Amino acid sequence: MIDMSVKIGPLRLQNPIMTASGTFGYAEEFKDIIPLNQLGAVITKTVTVEPRPGNPPRRIVELNNGMLNSIGLPNVGVEQFIIEKLYFLQSLKTTVIVNVAGKTGDGFVECVRRLEDVDGIAGYELNYSCPNVKEGGLSFSSNAATAAQVTRAVRRVAKRPLIVKLTPNVTSISEIGLACQENGADAVSAINTLVGMAVNVKTRRPKLATITGGYSGPAIKPIALAKVYELVSKLTIPVIAIGGIATVEDVLEFLITGASAVQLGTVNFYDPGASVRIIDELHAYCIQHQLGSLSEIIATLNISR
Amino acid sequence: MAVIPLNTHDHQPIRLCRSEIVSITEIAWETFVLRLKEPALSQNAHPGQFVEIRVPRCADILWRRPFSIHDADGEAETIDILFHAVGRGTEALKHLQVGDVLDLLGPLGNSFHIDDHLTEAIIVAGGLGIAPFKLFLRKTRQRNVPTTLFYGVGKKEQLCRLDDFQPSAQVRVSSVDGSVGSRGMVTDLLIEHLRTVPDMERKCLFVCGPTPMLRKVQEIAAQFQIKAQVSVETIMACGFGVCVGCAVPMRFPDPGKKEYFLACKEGPVFNMEEIIIHD
Ligand SMILES: Cc1cc2nc3c(=O)[nH]c(=O)nc-3n(C[C@H](O)[C@H](O)[C@H](O)COP(=O)(O)OP(=O)(O)OC[C@H]3O[C@@H](n4cnc5c(N)ncnc54)[C@H](O)[C@@H]3O)c2cc1C
Ligand SMILES: Cc1cc2nc3c(=O)[nH]c(=O)nc-3n(C[C@H](O)[C@H](O)[C@H](O)COP(=O)(O)O)c2cc1C
Ligand code: FES
Repeated sequence: MIDMSVKIGPLRLQNPIMTASGTFGYAEEFKDIIPLNQLGAVITKTVTVEPRPGNPPRRIVELNNGMLNSIGLPNVGVEQFIIEKLYFLQSLKTTVIVNVAGKTGDGFVECVRRLEDVDGIAGYELNYSCPNVKEGGLSFSSNAATAAQVTRAVRRVAKRPLIVKLTPNVTSISEIGLACQENGADAVSAINTLVGMAVNVKTRRPKLATITGGYSGPAIKPIALAKVYELVSKLTIPVIAIGGIATVEDVLEFLITGASAVQLGTVNFYDPGASVRIIDELHAYCIQHQLGSLSEIIATLNISR
Repeated sequence: MAVIPLNTHDHQPIRLCRSEIVSITEIAWETFVLRLKEPALSQNAHPGQFVEIRVPRCADILWRRPFSIHDADGEAETIDILFHAVGRGTEALKHLQVGDVLDLLGPLGNSFHIDDHLTEAIIVAGGLGIAPFKLFLRKTRQRNVPTTLFYGVGKKEQLCRLDDFQPSAQVRVSSVDGSVGSRGMVTDLLIEHLRTVPDMERKCLFVCGPTPMLRKVQEIAAQFQIKAQVSVETIMACGFGVCVGCAVPMRFPDPGKKEYFLACKEGPVFNMEEIIIHD
């Protein structure tokens, strides 16, 4: 028996394959497509205190090996989430993590406080990429002081494990990561989407209604790897890797670099069977290389010259 | 005018299928019918529903491509896709061979609601908007609903074979250049028809086509007080409700809460009066 389980602070996952927020709905959408209980963990689409309708179309653009999105975090709000979406998530045997955001730091606190009252949630992931209305729309992880303050405030109300999801659109992602670590985060996940843009040359209009949006998909993997490498070099808490992962080789690259687990995002849209297939392939890899557990591969990057 | 409750198929399982190509035929200018062996889908597909196809051997094409289910033959266990080669993905599809296996996700979306009490189902199709209506006509024929088809194309070469449709519907064709049928817009034929027929209450328009046509039909439907169901096309990254990219603005939004429908899940068929049609 190969031990595929991984530890992320206080959380133990049956394997390191998680599904990224906003790319997996509330899991129910996949129930007939893949055996959900085989996943390491499911992360929900971002939930906020108040419902949000989302941005006007056009919201998505396909690019070579990647895509842009400006969805605008549409969701039914935390109360409706508990009524409509949680029941199915509670029926799953796999680990469920709820991704949370707020317009202000208080929004994060209020949302998490409400979720603390309900069962079936293993932890929270805080989406620090969303705009902070108190700071003119800059993201919560655009400066270390704000990231520290919000993490501390949420930590006070959250008994469950806390993962902070970091944006790559900063000068130093590890500085923000350290601020979260010092203020009680159990782990960080990186990266959220990169700011990107596309122009229609016929109409000379931006392709997205919001002009710029978030860039994701296989094309961003090298950037994600570099950010994860920076984080694992500087932080002591676990790092969960996100960004362009679509194959078992991609997963291995991140694990070798030092990620404790990975999240699959954009790939779920076009290859919804990818997550469980990659779990099987990772298992086969371990057998082939006679690994007793995944810890034999995590953080084994050889940088000697 | 009461809004028609649309068919939803929330309990119908969505499956990832591996479907073998039985035939691929060019039936009009750069327009192909792809026939796939699909035992399960051929039994339970509803008119208006679609599938998402992964373009094979094109690693740089990220998303699947959505296509209406053109026809489904439960006995032969096949489904048909009617497509026009417009870009990279559809160009690649047209070069596939019999025996190739496609990775397909479906059935997706809701379907047209055909009320048994209709005295006339009036189809308005522009160009490739004809795609969902072969399966539709199977249903109206089975249920003895009298059906009229208004079908507009740009020019004769774009017209898909009519013998498929003629046994089950009254067919009227128009073309922009007059090379087939009457010259002009399909909506002109529609107006002409609606002027002559009574009993709008028990008729319904079923519409699919390019955006300018949809806008025009929306006006006509309002003017003649006739119900209309429309199948819309939006850009789609997933097709099954997870990317939330396929937003269609609601005519009657709940501001700050719900202002958009999802075309892939709550559609692609909508009551025309409930949505804002945009590019
Ligand atoms: C629910 C649904 C059902 C559809 N049914 C059919 C069908 O039965 N037959 C058929 O031929 N086509 C259908 N389409 C449109 C079809 O999906 C596109 O033509 C196809 O995705 C184009 O792929 P491509 O790689 O060849 O083109 P690309 O290279 O991606 O694009 C070529 C051009 O087509 C436009 N385009 C791309 N995707 C779409 C889209 N989803 N809707 C509208 N325009 C698009 C692009 O803006 C561009 O101008 C349907 C679309 C939807 C959403
Ligand atoms: C359409 C779309 C919607 C997303 N929605 C969210 C979201 O609601 N919350 C969040 O934290 N991240 C969201 N993300 C970011 C992803 O979770 C992930 O961090 C990013 O896409 C990079 O991974 P990938 O390249 O594997 O997609 C979204 C990404 C996409 C493409
Ligand atoms: S296409 Fe992804 S949600 Fe509709």
